Parts: sequence; C-alpha cells; structure tokens
Amino acid sequence: MLLLKLAFRNIFRQRRRSLLTAISMAGGYILCTFSFSLSEGSYNNAISFFTLDHTGHVQIHKEDYLQRPKIHKTIDDPEQLSEILDSREDIAAHTLRVFAPGIAYSDTDNSPAQIIGVDLERERTTSTLEQKVSSGSYIGSDLDSDGYYSAMIGAGLANSLNIGLGDELILISQGADGSVANDIYIVNGIIGNRDSPDRNTVFLPLVAAQEFLSMYGRVHEVSILLNDEGDSRSEASLLQEELQDLSVAPWQVVESTFYQSMQTDKQGNNFSMGVIVFLVFVGVLNTVLMSVLERTREFGVLKAIGSRPTKIALMITLETGLLASLSVLMGLLISLPLIGWFTAVGFELAQPMDVGGIVMSHMTGEMSFYVFAIPLALIVLFALLISIPTGIRAARISPTEAMRST
Amino acid sequence: MESLASNGHSHHQLKAGLTCSVLFLCLFSIQVSGAERAIEIIDEMEALYQGASSSATMTMIVETPQFERTMEMEASSIGTEKSFIRILSPRKDRGIATLKLDMEMWNFLPKINRVIKVPPSMMMGSWMGSDFTNDDLVKQTTLTDEYSLTLEETDEQYAIILVPKEETVTVWGKIDYIVNKEYMVPVAQNFYDDNGEIIRKLEFSELRDFSGRMIPSRLEMIPMNKEGNKTIIIYDELKFDPPEVDESIFTLRNLRSRF
Repeated sequence: MLLLKLAFRNIFRQRRRSLLTAISMAGGYILCTFSFSLSEGSYNNAISFFTLDHTGHVQIHKEDYLQRPKIHKTIDDPEQLSEILDSREDIAAHTLRVFAPGIAYSDTDNSPAQIIGVDLERERTTSTLEQKVSSGSYIGSDLDSDGYYSAMIGAGLANSLNIGLGDELILISQGADGSVANDIYIVNGIIGNRDSPDRNTVFLPLVAAQEFLSMYGRVHEVSILLNDEGDSRSEASLLQEELQDLSVAPWQVVESTFYQSMQTDKQGNNFSMGVIVFLVFVGVLNTVLMSVLERTREFGVLKAIGSRPTKIALMITLETGLLASLSVLMGLLISLPLIGWFTAVGFELAQPMDVGGIVMSHMTGEMSFYVFAIPLALIVLFALLISIPTGIRAARISPTEAMRST
Repeated sequence: MESLASNGHSHHQLKAGLTCSVLFLCLFSIQVSGAERAIEIIDEMEALYQGASSSATMTMIVETPQFERTMEMEASSIGTEKSFIRILSPRKDRGIATLKLDMEMWNFLPKINRVIKVPPSMMMGSWMGSDFTNDDLVKQTTLTDEYSLTLEETDEQYAIILVPKEETVTVWGKIDYIVNKEYMVPVAQNFYDDNGEIIRKLEFSELRDFSGRMIPSRLEMIPMNKEGNKTIIIYDELKFDPPEVDESIFTLRNLRSRF
C-alpha cells in the first residue's frame, strides 16, 4: 500500500512528463480500438450481409458440388433432411435450392441467365430474397389459370430482355436427363436493381425448377441459418457427422475467397497495430528510463536506509503499470463515444470495395468487449514488459556510487 | 449401288473423277488410284443412310453414369443437304424437331413454340443431350473435301485414313474409317484430336435388310473422354425414295407446325 502511494506520488511529481507519456499511450489505445472496431464492424457487416443474402451460415451439398457444380450432383431425399434440420434447436431456418445456367428469351431478345429454384416458404425465413423484390410481388409456387408458373427475375435481365411484370419469360437449359429443358413463365416480380448481384438471375418456385430440369424432388443445395453465426463451424462439423453421404460446409468454406482475404487483411491490420504500439512504447521506455536515471540518488538513499531491491523494482513496475492504466482509462473515455457514434452511424465509402467477390459499400464500427479489451491488454502488457528491465536497473544501483553521483 | 455412289459426288468432283478415270482407262489397265477409290468409298458410305431421299424411324438411347434416356424419332432426308428429325417420345420431348438445310440448322421447341437457330459456335455441342454433336447431323465438314485420304486394304476391310488437308480448319486431327468390303458398309469410325489421341468411336453393327440393301441398323457413339457415356441409335425402319418425302418437309414453315 505504501508502495502504491509512492508510485502515485512519483507519477504526479513530473506532471507534464507523465501527461505527455499518457497521451501517447492513450493515443495508441484509441488508434487500436478504432482500427479493431472498424475491421470487425465492416467484416461482420459484410458477413451478415451475404449470409443473410444467400449463403446462410452452413450449406449442404452432394459431393463436391461446391467446387464443381454438376446438375446430377443432387441431394436425393431433401424431405428427410428437412425433418432432421427442423428438429435441431441451433438451426433458425433452412431452405432448399436448385441451380442451372440457362438462356432466357423474350419475344425480341435473349440473354444468358442463372436459374435458381427456391423453396419459397422456407426462403422467406432464411434469406433476404423477399426484401429484394423491387417491384411486383414475392411469387407463390402455384400454377396460374393458364397453367404457367410465376418467376422473379433480376432487374438487369428484365432490362436486357425488355420485359416487365406480367410478361412471358422463356427459359431454355439442359435437363438433368440430358433433355432440352424449355418452358414459359410469367414474370411476377423484379429483384433488386441493375447493379445488384442478382441482376441476371431467374428465381423460380422449387417445384417449377425441378420440373423444368427433370430433377423431380431432388435439390442441389440446402442453406441453413443458425441462431448464432459464431457456431457455424462447430454446427457444420456436427451435421457432417450425422450426414455421412453429404458435404456440409460452414460459410467460411463456402465463401472461402472472401474468408481468406478477410483473414489476410485482418492479419495485416494486426501487424500494423503491433508496429504502432511498438513505436509508442519506444517513447514510453525512454520516459521511464529517464525517470529512473534522474532519481539515481533517491534510489541510492532508499537502498542505504534498507529498502530491498525487489521493492524498488516493484515500485518502478507499479509506476509504469499505473501510468499505463490511467492512460488507457483516458483513452477508453475518449474512444467510447467515438466508437459508439461510429457503430451507430458509420460512413459510406466513396468507392465500394470488393473483398473476394463481396462488395462492401459501408463502413461501420463494432462496439464489443473484444474491441476494447484486446488493445487494453496489449498496452498494459507492453508497459509492464518495459518496466522490468528498468526496474532491474534501478534495483541494481549501489548506494555508495549513487550518492556520490550528482 | 453405282447410282448411290455417284450421288455423293459434287459435279466438280464427278468431272475430275471422270477425267481421271478416262485418262487411266486410256493409258493403263482398268485401275483407279488408291486415293480416288478412297473418295469413292467414303462418299458411298456417307450417302448410305440417305439415298436420293429417305425416311426412317429410329430409337436413340443415351447412356450416362447418372441416367439412361430413350427417345424415338422419325427422320426424313433428301440427299445429304436436307434433313428433318422429329422426336416422337418420350411425351415430355414429343414434337421437338430439327431441320438441317445445307450448312444451317434449326431446332423447334413446341412447348415454347419457338424456332432456335443453332449458332456456328454450338455446332460441336451435343444434339438433344446425346453424344452426337450438331455437326454430326449437319455434316458441315464434307469429309472428302477437307481431308486427304489414304486407302489400306485387307481381305475383308478397307481402312481409310483421313488426315486434314493443309490450310483447312477441321474438327478432327485424324479419322480412321473402316469399311466392310463384302457388304460395302461402314464398320467403325475412330476420331482423333490434333495430338493423335482418340476422342470418340462410332461403331456400326447388326446388318439388316432395308429395301433390299444390307445396312447396319445399330450405331454406337462412344466418347472416350467421358467414362460410362454412350449413345446408341437403332434404325427401326429405313425406306429409300419414299413418295411421302418431298421438298415441303424441309422448310421452316413445316418445322414450326404443331405436331
């Protein structure tokens, strides 16, 4: 307790110097939290964007459909699979999909299109498809009075085919049995705008797409939404154990290009944070050394009247630690509202950034324990680290030499 | 048989052939050079299933590791220039038709009531999901025009090796054409790429008497680079010069007509 009191007094003895040191540490802390908050926030935003948009947290396919999609790599009993998935508590929702490339025709034009058949009811709770309908309505899976299924098409496709709501859309593709898949659909919904990733996609009711592609009852993909994104990997491996003949992959695998560039970017970020903290602490080390050197006589006296070397070393460590804690506290007080604003409001990027195929257009921060705790721990740890050699130096001072020096 | 052979010739070739033959006749004994004979044989083979005009019903079986699909169809042709194929079954595909006029090809899809021209880039694409390409139907490449031929002979077979002529762009690097001497019918065709690797085999078997002519009724196309895939065509019926085949069949108007 006495030591603590002494340490406190020592800090406030040289107010200006302590303040400058504190500012540099606080600045380092704010910079760290800000940078962490930015990268966590932006990436978490992007992750929740695409997992909700289409990827989901976990996906199930047949064999290596993910790497090499072939129309015949199908999940043959999706109903039984649905039952299993519905019964699991960690799973919030799931949906069934089929995919095929095709050519879309209107009376006058044609254009290549990506055809996706979705379980409309399940898709509603799993992805944001329904929110992406920009005109018309979210279609149903029934035949209309003329015997046609409805379709929703990307705005880009609607534009290049020159068709709109209520018009006929002709699709041609190859069926799973090698036959020529061809049919007419009625456009009842337009998805997104001409810049969205779905601009050339045709969404069909699952049954319609299965009929079109002659793959009755079978699907290519099951996309699962979990209650907690953080469980993606563990849930995927649990499901994989249960479903031996299928391939289960968390979003980290599905969107592996994104995930890898994210990891690389985060590592680069951590490295530059490390460099900044290092530079801050070169300055701090200098200050601490100075304060020890100018008190050589004091330490000499202390030792002469019987202070133990460990106590002296401990006092130095306490001083530095205390200063670091106070700085971090100061930094925390400043960064809290800053990051709070950043999380709530954020700012828009002048130029949208493409990270492994996923476009990020908005920068927002994240406010979490992690964002504040990691830089805090880092700075206090660094402070304690540099106080050790200086403490040892102070403890080793010989009283006679110290008192002789000026 | 003679008439069949000359049908395959273009006038130009016929003239050249005649001049040559006359020359040979005059100067030497009655002997045609190997290459000339080879052209004759190939032209005869290529015209075998068509005649002056023909109509056929056939069954096509497409086998892959994932599925097997059987289609019945009827086909009509005049010479090698014009042909028309209509799928009769399965019900799902009924009415899908293909028209070939000279070098062009159209497909008609009744469900969407639409004629789609097959673009040149799709000529090597699969016809109706089979291992036959659109080009196999159209025969855009006239073998005797674009390949140099060498004839080899055994007691039972002719083996004609087709190598692309210089400065011609061809689909294949080499074709072996094996012909049965006794019946003068094809036995097999092997197709190679530019590296000399075999890409696919077409085998002819099950000789049947169609209108007094022995013709292989079973064709098997086996792609060598796709294991487990195979397409079989079986001729159920083949008639030559049938009265019902006339020019009106080979029109876009007829292609478009509901069936």
